Amino acid sequence: MNEELDSQLSAMFDDELLPAECELLARRLSRDEHLKARWGRYAIVGAVIRAERGVRLNAPLAGRVNAVLLAEPALAAHTAPRDRNQVRLRWWQPLAGAAVAAGVATVSIMWLRAQAPLPGQLVAQVTPPRQASLPTASSPGQGDSYIVPRPKPAAVMVPSTELANYVVAHSVFSNPVTRRNLLSAFMTSEAPATGTQEPQSNVKAIAQ
Amino acid sequence: MSADASDLSLVRRVQRGDKGAFDALVLKYQHKLVKLVMRYVRNPAEAEDIAQEAFIKAYRALPQFRGDSAFYTWLYRIAINTAKNAVVSRDRSPVEYDLDRNNNDESYDMQGRMKDSETPEGLVLTDEIRSTVNAAIDALPEDLRTAIVLRELEGLSYEEIAAAMDCPVGTVRSRIFRAREAIDRRLREVFEGGLGRAEELG
Repeated sequence: MNEELDSQLSAMFDDELLPAECELLARRLSRDEHLKARWGRYAIVGAVIRAERGVRLNAPLAGRVNAVLLAEPALAAHTAPRDRNQVRLRWWQPLAGAAVAAGVATVSIMWLRAQAPLPGQLVAQVTPPRQASLPTASSPGQGDSYIVPRPKPAAVMVPSTELANYVVAHSVFSNPVTRRNLLSAFMTSEAPATGTQEPQSNVKAIAQ
Repeated sequence: MSADASDLSLVRRVQRGDKGAFDALVLKYQHKLVKLVMRYVRNPAEAEDIAQEAFIKAYRALPQFRGDSAFYTWLYRIAINTAKNAVVSRDRSPVEYDLDRNNNDESYDMQGRMKDSETPEGLVLTDEIRSTVNAAIDALPEDLRTAIVLRELEGLSYEEIAAAMDCPVGTVRSRIFRAREAIDRRLREVFEGGLGRAEELG
């Protein structure tokens, strides 16, 4: 046995060999049974020095593992190119995920809107027009009175609140930017509305 | 010098379909792994079974190993999870285990003992290995003994050992190699001398 080779083996065992030399020696180590046996004895020496008392040093564990793996197919020969593909896929995954999340959100919103009228809409329909309850003109003989406008009923905000809650509840499936856009779109869409429905085409445009 | 380069070289070879390279990884880490697993299970035979399962899981998962972490860190994590799962599943069915033991006859115990290799021959062999290695270490010159102990017991790098021993890194490498060679020579004498179990050294 070449002494230089053994010296390299000892250094490789300690992770102290240059990577290029490791490559060459790893190839030889995987084929040379004598070298492998020496490598195994280096491990035993280390185990004894560390006093790994629980370990039966003659345990043929490596042989047992080897016997099981004999029945296994060898791993794919082209792992490295597949790694590159995986890296490329990983780069696209967030974008693809965002697109899927946006699509799901759009479909969900359309589906929710297409369902039976939401509570807010019911309230808006049942509530009589505000003008009817307001005095239109002062009757003769009555003094002028100032009417303080009532605040808008809270129920009008329900549809957007529900949708917002829905989006938040499913936030796992959407990216932060899309989610923020959707939520702000809901809020702004409520500002001029008094229970009116937002055009679906707008929602779709926002979601996308 | 790249840490874990030797493991990574072997891992890459396994990923390219070279099963022999995985042998080398098992040989290198089997003792450490069994020792690690023994923190979770007391029985050495059970620890070996778990370590074996961990190695096989690692082999099957190697295509997904990208080398972001050190191989042994990844392997240890698999072993710890395997050990924890084994403990949980064993604790879930203690009754079944006891029943199995009670229902079987004496042959169970015999088979169990044989499987565990807790035979007198196995124990003697283990002690003999220990005493041989320890005697060989004691017989080493001081500088070789210090170098190998600092490496194996303290886990110091060659550079750290060089600083501690006030010598070049190349000298450390040479001392550790010579120490290993001296111990290995004694080990081979013992195992090739009559016990006929040198093949189990690995």
